[in-house]
Amino acid sequence: MDSRVYLFLSLILYAVGAVHVFVHVVTRRRLLTTLTVASTLLGFAFHTAALSQRWTEEGHFPAVGLSDGASFLAWATVLVFLLVYLTTRVDALGLFAYPFVFVLVCVASLSPTSGRPDSVLRGLFLPVHTVLAVFGYGALFVAFTMGVLYLIQEHELRSRSPHRVYYVVPSLERCDTIGGRAAIGGFAFLTLAILTGFNWNMSLNGRYWTGDPKEWAAICAWLIYVVLITARYRAGWGGRRAAWLGIAGFAIVVFTFAWATLVPGVEAAAP
Amino acid sequence: MIVVVGLSHQTAPLAVREALAFPKDRLGEALERAREEAGLSEAMILSTCNRVEVYGRAPEPVSRHVAEFLARFHDRRLDELGSQVYQLEGDAAVRHAFRVAASLDSMVLGETQILGQVKRAYEAAEEAGSLGSVLNALRNRSLAAAKRARTETAIGRNAVSVSHVAVELARKIFGDLRDRSVLLVGAGKMSELAARQMVRGGARATVLGGRTFEKAEQLAAALGGQAAPLEALRSSMAEVDVVISGTGAPGLVVRREDVEEAQAAKRNRPLFLIDIAVPRDIEPEAARVKGVFLYDLDDLRSVAEANLRERRKEAASAEAILEEEIGAFLEWRRSLDVVPLLVELRSRADEIRRAEVDKARRRLGPLTPEQEKALDAVTSGIVNKLLHSPTVELKRMAGNRHHTEHVGLIRKLFGL
Repeated sequence: MDSRVYLFLSLILYAVGAVHVFVHVVTRRRLLTTLTVASTLLGFAFHTAALSQRWTEEGHFPAVGLSDGASFLAWATVLVFLLVYLTTRVDALGLFAYPFVFVLVCVASLSPTSGRPDSVLRGLFLPVHTVLAVFGYGALFVAFTMGVLYLIQEHELRSRSPHRVYYVVPSLERCDTIGGRAAIGGFAFLTLAILTGFNWNMSLNGRYWTGDPKEWAAICAWLIYVVLITARYRAGWGGRRAAWLGIAGFAIVVFTFAWATLVPGVEAAAP
Repeated sequence: MIVVVGLSHQTAPLAVREALAFPKDRLGEALERAREEAGLSEAMILSTCNRVEVYGRAPEPVSRHVAEFLARFHDRRLDELGSQVYQLEGDAAVRHAFRVAASLDSMVLGETQILGQVKRAYEAAEEAGSLGSVLNALRNRSLAAAKRARTETAIGRNAVSVSHVAVELARKIFGDLRDRSVLLVGAGKMSELAARQMVRGGARATVLGGRTFEKAEQLAAALGGQAAPLEALRSSMAEVDVVISGTGAPGLVVRREDVEEAQAAKRNRPLFLIDIAVPRDIEPEAARVKGVFLYDLDDLRSVAEANLRERRKEAASAEAILEEEIGAFLEWRRSLDVVPLLVELRSRADEIRRAEVDKARRRLGPLTPEQEKALDAVTSGIVNKLLHSPTVELKRMAGNRHHTEHVGLIRKLFGL
């Protein structure tokens, strides 16, 4: 089967999850059920098939260009989301994860594939760098989501007359803890991704630093996470400020990713 | 037929409910009299502060007799109680029994006490020997339905009393309460209630006492915590996560500066201040300090109201679940009725007779009208004679308390 067909099937199955989560917020049942998780797992299987199909079609690791980049990022996000959900059981995460993944897969299916045979893409740098980056993004997305949920819950608690979300969102403590752990995990992956990126630069251009805006953005994001993590564990900057930093860091990461995939050129080939 | 006769918070004021309540020590007597005087073959009495109800089973509609018994037992006259007493029979009675057990008929929707009260009422009836197969089935099915409604909807999930709301909010802030510490300022009833639940959740408690230090010590001992003088307020607040203040003091006890100082020492980690005193103990301005969540009595009430609204929305899905269970129960009941059983038994026997007659006719060839008549008469005679005694016996045992088992057995034996 064509990789597009697999991708379309996974899109539909993720949509089941997305619709389910929102219907359940309205109908006041549990957010995620076995059905949702099962359909997401099946969607993930199709998605994996789509990626491997793309790999054979392209002849190199399928993470180049908007279509494949978005698809791969969505794939990693689903994996990270499932891992976090199955270990923490925080179903409110689905409120953000499903729409995010759905949009990414939509973008991936609607935009044309790049199909650029290029010798620099054949090496080991592309898969290693992108896998590290994409898992970092997935974890940082979780940190971002937990930050937003933290702010929502804090607002609800201060309003003193809670709305529906108050019942859905977990406790502040939980948002803070999971967000913190996700930030550390994401930061570790991001650091490794940046290091491999520099090495890739070295092997291509003979320089570690080319001054590309994407490099600046990556370093900015990385520095924000350095601040976030040290402030949290050194100065006790938990809660609200950590939530805001998690959101800001992810905003820059999204910018980096968009830059990397939308601006053409070999340097921007990988996220 | 199942009947339910009684009165509840929805139909009668407290004074009337009190007057008609059944004291525990007279329950055995009441159950016996209910059966004798109202013609019930099975009886159960549910008597709580919000409702007094007699559940019964009888071969015919006897709810009027049950209502009269209810009035007579308490030396009242039924006509003076008027419409305060409801008399439900059949499907309506079953529906009511299910809704009561599931707390959909409760004053506080979704409250948990009613389930235990209903359970105990059935147990008391069982001990008194007035529980038979039908009420027993009603017990099992209605309690199972209540549990299902509770687990599948959030009808009982969010707290609606002030002290529970305080504990739930603490959980929304701190997650697990294990190893959290609670500071009680003043030893009031409501703060004790909230603190007790937090301690049960794993929190440590410190009680600050002023003039009545002895009271603080007693409460601290009961909560497994420590007592300290009120002067230690500032230093204690820097070390705790939750402060419950409920003194009778006329002025402020906790000021914004105190909270600011504590938060500086705590590096702005969350501090949950609960002010349940009237007049208030904690300066309202303290809510502006970083990391502080301040709730006074009105705030807690407003959350309780929001929770109750949430429960009311949940009630719709709980009703749907209950309807399913009620439908299943009623269908099962109908399958056990004697009358349909008799009809089915008869038609099954007649079916067999006709089939056999047809077979014989094919073998015998053409018969004269007289022979036809004789063949019919002989076979019908056998069927009628065979079914006569079971029919009489079944009708006789219709009011018997073991009738459901017998009906089930007969269905099994005849493959119906």
